[in-house]
Amino acid sequence: MNHLTEEELIAHAYDEDDKDAVEQHLKACAECSETYTALRSDLAEMKFEDVPARDAFYGNRVWESISRLLPVYEARKQSWLRGGMRRGLSYAAACAVLVTCAFIGGRLWERRQTQTVAENHSQQKKQSVTHPPERVVVVVLSDHLDRSERLLMELKHADADSAEMVSPLRDEARSLLAANRTCRQNVKHNDDPALATTLARLDHLLAELANQPEGLNSTTITRLQEEMNADRLLFEVRVLRSRQAASTAQPKKGTI
Amino acid sequence: MLRMDKNDHAAIRAVLSGDKEAYGALVVRYSGKLFRVAFRITGNEADAEDVVQEAFLRGYRKLEGFESRSDFGTWIYRIAVRCALDKIGSSRVDENSRVGEESDPEQNEVQVADLSAGPDRLLLSREIGAMQEIAMHSLTPTERTAFVLRHMEERTSEEIAAALGIAPNAAKQAVFRAVQKLRCRLAALRVKV
Repeated sequence: MNHLTEEELIAHAYDEDDKDAVEQHLKACAECSETYTALRSDLAEMKFEDVPARDAFYGNRVWESISRLLPVYEARKQSWLRGGMRRGLSYAAACAVLVTCAFIGGRLWERRQTQTVAENHSQQKKQSVTHPPERVVVVVLSDHLDRSERLLMELKHADADSAEMVSPLRDEARSLLAANRTCRQNVKHNDDPALATTLARLDHLLAELANQPEGLNSTTITRLQEEMNADRLLFEVRVLRSRQAASTAQPKKGTI
Repeated sequence: MLRMDKNDHAAIRAVLSGDKEAYGALVVRYSGKLFRVAFRITGNEADAEDVVQEAFLRGYRKLEGFESRSDFGTWIYRIAVRCALDKIGSSRVDENSRVGEESDPEQNEVQVADLSAGPDRLLLSREIGAMQEIAMHSLTPTERTAFVLRHMEERTSEEIAAALGIAPNAAKQAVFRAVQKLRCRLAALRVKV
């Protein structure tokens, strides 16, 4: 049988153990029981000096002796407030710095974006100069040639004495004149002398139709009809329109 | 007890709101309890009074950190134990020299011989008490405080550990060592008597 150690006996004396198990052992083991009795006896003898009694006013005396040493917590509260204010100001300063940084960052980003857009725009412009979007021009040109052909047809069959017929011709000519100049500018970049020549003649005719100071009269109409026939302008426009229609149906590789 | 806790918490709130005098009620309420434990640890009336004052001063300064869930009585009690521990720790050099002198076996034997020679039991009892006090001074501050809290204040190991800021097992060990040392020092006296 293993005897209980002194530590276990002390723990048992102070009720800090498995009470039942130790009690059982003590009943069974005379040696441990004797040791435990001696320990209890020693602990019982350990009666030290009684605590001197304090009178009823002891607490008041303690308070009197320390109260003057204690600061008022309100003052600490104020200091806390000051601390809070300092903290608040620190936060405000930090926020201000953040906002400023965000603002400057935003401005820089915006400037950079603008610059990038401008660069992209100029690059696109440059690209459009070197590589004009053929497909778009083709479509516009085709449309322009179509409208021009109709105008020339109307001019060919126009009754010079009928003001009702002549007036729409002039309006349409003015409209086509602007488009024709745009097309001519685009055609300059293409190596297509036939188209350039036809558009130049067309330009001349449209300008005549659109800009008669005294309006279109029978004489002018007749003259323009004769010029148109002489230049075979209607025929050339038809040929070009057919060609453009064919190229629209089968666009070149790489065009939009 | 619960009503008292509520009163304590109300007083603490008042103090923290700027009513310094409210702390006076807490001081009056717990001074006796703190004096008792302080005296048992220091073994000296004047030191015990110093400990009580120091404990309440420290408590006041730390009052903002006091958790409202805690019991003020237990909290200030622990502070007092720490103050008492500091007190006996600071005067340890003097005590050690005194204990060193008193722990001389020859001197003990002389004293015991004198005691056994005297027929007056009252005188004998006083001498035994004095020897116990000397034996108490042979303990380290932690052992002494742990023993006082366990043997006299009947605190559990957990409470002792919390008061001393050590692990419960370390508190148990401190009590065990204290009892061992005290029994050892008092054994010779018992044999002679």
